[in-house]
Amino acid sequence: MIDYIHVSKSYPNGNVVLDDVDFSVSPGEFVIITGISGAGKTTIGRLLIRDLIPDKGKIIVEGTDLSKIKPQNAPILRRKIGFAFQDFRLLPDKTVGENVVIALEIAGYDPKKIEEKVKHTLSLVGLSGKENLFPGQLSGGEVQRASIARAIAANPPILFADEPTGNLDKETSLEIFKLLQKINSDGTTVILATHDVTLINLNVGTHIHLEKGKIVKQEKHSSSKKEEKD
Amino acid sequence: MSTATKNIRRSPYQAFSAIFIVSLTMFIIGIFGLVTYASQVILNNFETKPQIIAYLKDGHTTEQVGGLLGSLNNTEGVKEAVYISKQDALELYKKSVGNDPVLLGTVTDWGIVTADILPASIEITAEKPESFKNIATTLEKSDIISVTPAGKKEIDYPQDVISELTKWTNAIRIGGLVLVVALTLVAILTIMTIISMKISSRRFEISTFKLLGAKNIYIIKPYLQESVIYGLIGAFVGWLGCFVILLYSTPFLAPRIGSIITFPIPFLTYAILFGALMIFGFIISFASSLFAATRFVNRSK
Repeated sequence: MIDYIHVSKSYPNGNVVLDDVDFSVSPGEFVIITGISGAGKTTIGRLLIRDLIPDKGKIIVEGTDLSKIKPQNAPILRRKIGFAFQDFRLLPDKTVGENVVIALEIAGYDPKKIEEKVKHTLSLVGLSGKENLFPGQLSGGEVQRASIARAIAANPPILFADEPTGNLDKETSLEIFKLLQKINSDGTTVILATHDVTLINLNVGTHIHLEKGKIVKQEKHSSSKKEEKD
Repeated sequence: MSTATKNIRRSPYQAFSAIFIVSLTMFIIGIFGLVTYASQVILNNFETKPQIIAYLKDGHTTEQVGGLLGSLNNTEGVKEAVYISKQDALELYKKSVGNDPVLLGTVTDWGIVTADILPASIEITAEKPESFKNIATTLEKSDIISVTPAGKKEIDYPQDVISELTKWTNAIRIGGLVLVVALTLVAILTIMTIISMKISSRRFEISTFKLLGAKNIYIIKPYLQESVIYGLIGAFVGWLGCFVILLYSTPFLAPRIGSIITFPIPFLTYAILFGALMIFGFIISFASSLFAATRFVNRSK
């Protein structure tokens, strides 16, 4: 479904953020990408939605080589990938419900079904009854849930969650993690980028560990197969 | 549409200035359009009326008139030359005074108005005012044209009036056009500046939309709608201004040009002006915001 083939990426200041990264994600898989800040986790996500272009290698999503997608067609790709941003990117002057509506409008959802879909999505992430609150009126965990709700509202086949438990307490982090597992169990391919050690120790899905832009460990827990790279 | 109206409510002063500039532009365009139309009607009226009238001596013969008409028809620039007999002249007079028995019975210097006291004439329509002098020369040569006590042939042609009118009409057209172009540019630049300011202040929102997969049209739609609201409200206010001005100037204009232009101005004229201003308001507001918004969205990541 997703193939990163020998992908390298440097920033204009010369900082190499990804160095020959090579991995695949199968449909319905749950992948956890770990690493310290600056290891390249977010860059993997930004490359996935074509917010960045790799310097070397290629990324293939559902059979499409992203390097061959014209910039004007990037929106079509982005609608296939729900992205829960590290900084949430919820619009502060819009309510939680309106933030979710935006994602559905962008995806071209039938306007008559949007209201119902918003309610359903918010109930899925545990935010029922909070659709009229603004992001500033929510707790940290709720903001993260709202961000995930917007990402999954249009039923994208892939969800990339970038540090969704970043500043949350352990209990709330586990709740968010369970939510992502629930979304994955419904058939969505989930890629979780995190530095949260508690989540890694849960031994769920495929674990990819990055250090200085390189994959140093890759193991699959669900299939009991272990594959390590040094 | 709700996003567009919300944007307007958020910055009422910007909205007011955009609407004010568009209204002023539309008002000037409307007034200019009406003045151009009126001056054209006046000019057409002068041009379509017999422009040269040569009065004939009493006692002329049909052959003499036929000969003069023949030489006029061979003169360059003559569109039409018609003989008006004394009886025809009386009929025209009756028509112009509406068969008013008082006026028809008026005692003039020559007595009560009858066919006898009215001179026969030849009325000539020229192809263009520049031909007047050429036609007058042909008439001067004829012996059947009556002569004033001062020894001058009785040939009337409003050469000065028409050339002055043409000059003024052209001046109005050129001056008005310059004013309209300048004001339209000001309106376009004002809308572009306002939309650019608004859109750049929502940089975060726009980049989020793009990351979520929004197409450019989804992002710029509210700004286009907002701008079109300015354009349409401005056009309506401008039209209303024209309407009020025309309404209040009717008592002044009607006695002066009422015989050429119908007063009060027919509803259809107002409707056409309304439609034209609304279309123009839509076009300038849509085009300017489309340019400003597309430029910004294409440049933002």
